[in-house]
Amino acid sequence: MTTTPTTQSVQLTVNGVARSGETENRKTLVDFLRDDLELTGTHVGCEHGVCGACTILLDGEPVRSCLMLAVQANGRSLETIEGLGSPDDLSPLQQAFRESHGFQCGFCTPGFVMTTVALLRENPDPSEAEIRHCLSGNLCRCTGYQSIVEGVKSAALALQAGENR
Amino acid sequence: MTALSTAAGIGSTRTVGTAALRVEDLRILTGRGRYVDDLKFPGMLHAAFLRSPFAHARILSIDVSAALELPGVVGIFTGADMAARTTGIEPLVAPPGFRSEPVFGLAIDKVRLVGDPVAIVVADSRYIAEDACELIDIDYEQLEAIGTFEQALDPSGPKVFESLDSNIMLEMSNSYGEVDESFAEAELIVRRTFAQHRVAQVPMEGRGGVSHFDPESGNFVYYTGTQSPHSLKGYISQALGVPLEQTRVVNGDIGGAFGLKIATHREDVALCAASYWLGRPVKWIEDRNEHLLASGQAREERMELEAAVNRDGTILAMRGTMVLDQGAYPAVPFVGGGIVGLIATMMPGPYAFRGFAMSSQVVASNKCTYSAYRAPWAMETWARERMINVIAAELDLDPAAVRRKNFAANDGSVSMLSGATLLDNSCAQTLERVLELGEYDRLRTEQAAARAQGRCVGIGFATFIEGAPGPAAGRGLNEQSIARVEPDGQLSIFTTQAPNGQGHETTLAQIASDEMGIPIGNVKIYHGDTADTPYALIGTGGSRAATLASGSVLHSSRKLKANVLELAAEMLEANPSDLVIEDGLIHPIGVPTVHLTLAEVAARAYAEPADTSEPVLAEPTLTAEAAYDGGIGSWSAGTHFCHVEIDLQTGQVKILRYLVVEDCGRMINPAVVEGQVRGGVAQGVGEVLFEWSAYDDQANFLAGTFMDYLLPTASEVPRIDIEHLENEPNEEVFFRGVGEGGLLIAPAAITNAIEDALSPYGAQINDQYLPPAKILELAKVI
Repeated sequence: MTTTPTTQSVQLTVNGVARSGETENRKTLVDFLRDDLELTGTHVGCEHGVCGACTILLDGEPVRSCLMLAVQANGRSLETIEGLGSPDDLSPLQQAFRESHGFQCGFCTPGFVMTTVALLRENPDPSEAEIRHCLSGNLCRCTGYQSIVEGVKSAALALQAGENR
Repeated sequence: MTALSTAAGIGSTRTVGTAALRVEDLRILTGRGRYVDDLKFPGMLHAAFLRSPFAHARILSIDVSAALELPGVVGIFTGADMAARTTGIEPLVAPPGFRSEPVFGLAIDKVRLVGDPVAIVVADSRYIAEDACELIDIDYEQLEAIGTFEQALDPSGPKVFESLDSNIMLEMSNSYGEVDESFAEAELIVRRTFAQHRVAQVPMEGRGGVSHFDPESGNFVYYTGTQSPHSLKGYISQALGVPLEQTRVVNGDIGGAFGLKIATHREDVALCAASYWLGRPVKWIEDRNEHLLASGQAREERMELEAAVNRDGTILAMRGTMVLDQGAYPAVPFVGGGIVGLIATMMPGPYAFRGFAMSSQVVASNKCTYSAYRAPWAMETWARERMINVIAAELDLDPAAVRRKNFAANDGSVSMLSGATLLDNSCAQTLERVLELGEYDRLRTEQAAARAQGRCVGIGFATFIEGAPGPAAGRGLNEQSIARVEPDGQLSIFTTQAPNGQGHETTLAQIASDEMGIPIGNVKIYHGDTADTPYALIGTGGSRAATLASGSVLHSSRKLKANVLELAAEMLEANPSDLVIEDGLIHPIGVPTVHLTLAEVAARAYAEPADTSEPVLAEPTLTAEAAYDGGIGSWSAGTHFCHVEIDLQTGQVKILRYLVVEDCGRMINPAVVEGQVRGGVAQGVGEVLFEWSAYDDQANFLAGTFMDYLLPTASEVPRIDIEHLENEPNEEVFFRGVGEGGLLIAPAAITNAIEDALSPYGAQINDQYLPPAKILELAKVI
């Protein structure tokens, strides 16, 4: 049965910037990011934690923002796709994905990019098998994954070459 | 003025044939794409659909009173509103004899599938709208449901549409050449029944839209993600009674479509109606469960096939019967079941049969709408390429030899039985090359050794032609474009394409910039807005862009260039034929120091020059239009090669090598071509090994989450190696489409490999879906 929604205030850091808002307890983190903070780069693909489109970094760890409530992120530090490079100034990782023609429709892209950010921080020189294993929590329907895997490989090389950012 | 200061070497700005970086990626990679759920308007409301839990049931009553009392609920509409205040829509492109009832936005008297939309609830937030759905009270009377071909065809069974006397929506018979004579003469007749299971398109972005009716102006704008903006606009206008000229459809970025989004969906109509009646913008974004159960599904066909063959491997003829399950409601505007005609005309493919015949039935059931999915006619290629391997096994011949024996000449001397040209198709060449690259003979030797060690390995390959744009006969629809030089010298191109991942903003810019002689960065492609793009019934679909849209843009840019040169000639006091445009500068041939920019020409065309009293010229203008119809039509062609190993403990199929040799003429952008091919193959891997839109025999849907409907991941899709042959058709536009070929042929290559692997166990693969349990069953392990 429906009950009156209760709300809480949430304070968090997103891409290094302090943000806050009043949110219903039941609101998912991805809806809070997209609707309340207007950070629409993070996408909603399945709302049950399988597709990975909504992947963001929570205190550095990749998480599904569709499986968390906004209130659970209170006091935490988040990184989203908007915190990387801009169209005029792509990060080396984004540049590598562009050069590998990594993506097509772009809907799954933010999730893959954030998953890759976390992967390369933890393992700067992953093998192809490690890359494919790591990306297996993200679904892409356009590419067959090969161009994404190539993008991760060249991003790793670019980061090793000191273009870390 | 443009920023071009240096005249580099001749043709240095040319990009056709190179993997030019995609324009789209700058926004996509930075989270700046604009997908439909990213839109927000002042006063915008949110919609949720209440859907049927039953496959087939009569609606006795609907009580929305409790839901309406929930704070935040603004409006609720049901089938009664749709019946009273909208017009049902009907397919525009359906074969003669196709039967249907008009389709409304919501179910009216009864529900016909699990997920049938029964009510649309509009509220301040999606959360509240979903709460309200739970407060709606509906009395249903459950009816017997149709979940199988046999139930659909049983004359005494229930009817999906009670105004029709049966569930057969269409019957069609096609017969070409000498069929009966060939069967009478044949040394052997080979029979098999092949079944393709129901799967779905599953773009990562589902359906959705923001319907924005402005009561003050009467203007109606529908922001959505459609492959076909103009046909959607027409249907919305018709269903709601809004004048066409006040209706507009606008796309942003689209997160994949694969054929699904070519349709006008019932939810489009209901959503637009709600906005129209409430006078407010309303957003609906499909969730994944709704998507899997009610957006669209494809590929449920069964074909009983027989082939008349001689012992030397000659295939004289094939004939068969086919039944296709269209689900409950027909797709609009393109009836899914209408594909049976194309299946029949395409099925002989690149082979020289003497006769071919197919009798087809399209039946309705209590399932989701059968809709277009990348290579919708794929049943013919799969069944044919399976049958050729069955024939080879029967005759103890190599499957490559049977293909070689039966390829039609490609010199124009032989046409398909249905009349289409086979001129210049390079199927035979792709087969030989892929066998060479795959080291077929060596693999066969190794296979024997592996089998001796108890390993289960198989090799399969299959050959296709892809209508790209296909034979001229019956294609009928041209592709228009508009090219315009803007006051700042930039080139704008307006296309009818509605890209959803294909990179047309890049590939069409490559064409236009090469033609005009300017850098690719000086071209912008406009698409997806009915207010400024030319009319097209289709939009993006049917692998039309590479040849038709590109050809159209090539011609509009070429016409515009002639206008630019005519104006420039007057300014430079030269002859237009003595001028060229290179690297963005217009100059006499061989004299790059005397030059004009496009911006300077635009200033002359658009504004009265300040330094003279000369008026703006009436003609020529800096806008040009062109249409292109694809000429005589031509084919993309290819052969896919697959090497598998099967684990007979687990039933898992591991693809050891996947190799493609394909020919799409000259490639505009090889990276885009390869992305299309690999994406299609990945969907083929999924279709055979993982994906099934499963229903039980009472049409209860069983695959409503991504834990039931399994998409292949980076761990399951193998590396796919591609080699391109670039035979150029003898036409002005040498680019051919590749959007559908990957998925068209991959299931045949994979299933042929699996049957080869399991041949020591006597396995026959007649059903395309081969999950581990089925593999173990075929291998007689379980």
